[in-house]
Amino acid sequence: MFNILKELIYSSGAVSLTGGNLVMWLVAFVLLYLAIKKQYEPLLLLPIAFGILVVNLPLTFLMEPEHGLIWFFYHYGIEQDIIPPLIFLGLGAMIDFGPLIANPKTLLLGAGAQAGLYVTFFAAILFGFDLQEAGSIAIIGGADGPTTIYLTSKLAPHLLGATAVSAYAYMALVPIIQPPMMKLLTTDHERKIVMSKLRHVSKLQRVCFPIITAMTIMLVVPPAAPLISMLMLGNLFKESGVVERLTNAASNELMNIVTIFLGLSIGATMTASTFLSPKVLFIFFLGLFAFVVSTAAGLLMAKFMNLFLKDKINPLIGAAGVSAVPMAARCVHKVGSEANRRNYLLMYAMGPNVAGVIGTVVAAAILLKNLG
Amino acid sequence: METDWPKVLEVFGSGIIGVFLVMILLQILTQLSTRVIDFVENWSKDEEAEAESKK
Repeated sequence: MFNILKELIYSSGAVSLTGGNLVMWLVAFVLLYLAIKKQYEPLLLLPIAFGILVVNLPLTFLMEPEHGLIWFFYHYGIEQDIIPPLIFLGLGAMIDFGPLIANPKTLLLGAGAQAGLYVTFFAAILFGFDLQEAGSIAIIGGADGPTTIYLTSKLAPHLLGATAVSAYAYMALVPIIQPPMMKLLTTDHERKIVMSKLRHVSKLQRVCFPIITAMTIMLVVPPAAPLISMLMLGNLFKESGVVERLTNAASNELMNIVTIFLGLSIGATMTASTFLSPKVLFIFFLGLFAFVVSTAAGLLMAKFMNLFLKDKINPLIGAAGVSAVPMAARCVHKVGSEANRRNYLLMYAMGPNVAGVIGTVVAAAILLKNLG
Repeated sequence: METDWPKVLEVFGSGIIGVFLVMILLQILTQLSTRVIDFVENWSKDEEAEAESKK
């Protein structure tokens, strides 16, 4: 009887617990609190937090190669590049490219914001990260979770947990991070600019846009194909108006299912040994730096464009060039309406906001081409 | 391990230029296609209106 009890105790995970496991439990509990109580990106942070918790329970072998349950989700979903493109399929089925088609020059604002990404790449190199790690950290500035996960899984999979949590955490903090930058880099007069009414976009134009975009980007930057093809396919479902069932499935059931597997898999990569290192602190700091510089780059791009435009754009919409859809656009609208109550910037800001999604994919593809 | 600075500058430069070039190309193609579609749609509307008035 005593021997049975002794064996039970020694085979349990409790005796194999380390200090690192306990610290990771704390990280998991903090993320659970942020997700549930504060509602910071709960759709992702909750499964990520739970993934962190269960992978740091010893002897569960949930991430054991070829055997662990969560390893199968991770291997087939992320390593085999299935989940991020499916997320983009759902995203495309929800996105409205109308404001962008009505004002195509806002594509340049999406490009401008990506400049911040490359500045962060440079900064990460100075901090001592290697080229692939720097690329994975820089993409955080694109404020696009699936693209961050897609690129990091290829360039620096050991940083996947830290970069993904960083990206989603800063996306949730857009209303806190962006307004000070917007006020710092724009004048009161600029914030009050009322933009002219957006032109009407016909159904045919909406249907042609995803086809033209997919073909153009895939021809010029082939590594962007998995993400951009799914994004544009989802959008084509939506804009065609003839496959409502597929649009609904992509934007609801499919999106929800892959989000569960994505979050759990990402969280499960964050073991004590991979996460508890000084490098991770630098990643969180550089992630914030990337976000701030991308916001600034978008704002400065808008101000630069205004030097040449007769019909001025409100430079605040440049901040929406980071692809945190639709939080960044809402943030722009809020700051704009504080300066001028009659100014309704939300639809104008959606243009650069969705352009930022395309821009981040292009930036990631170029990084992959150079570093992969 | 020593940093490969030429590679860093290559990635930095090609990245920024590459993103801008792609987005400018996309802007041009979007503007071109919307103008063509506008022209075609307006032309077919005029044709329909003319046919209606002849009736």
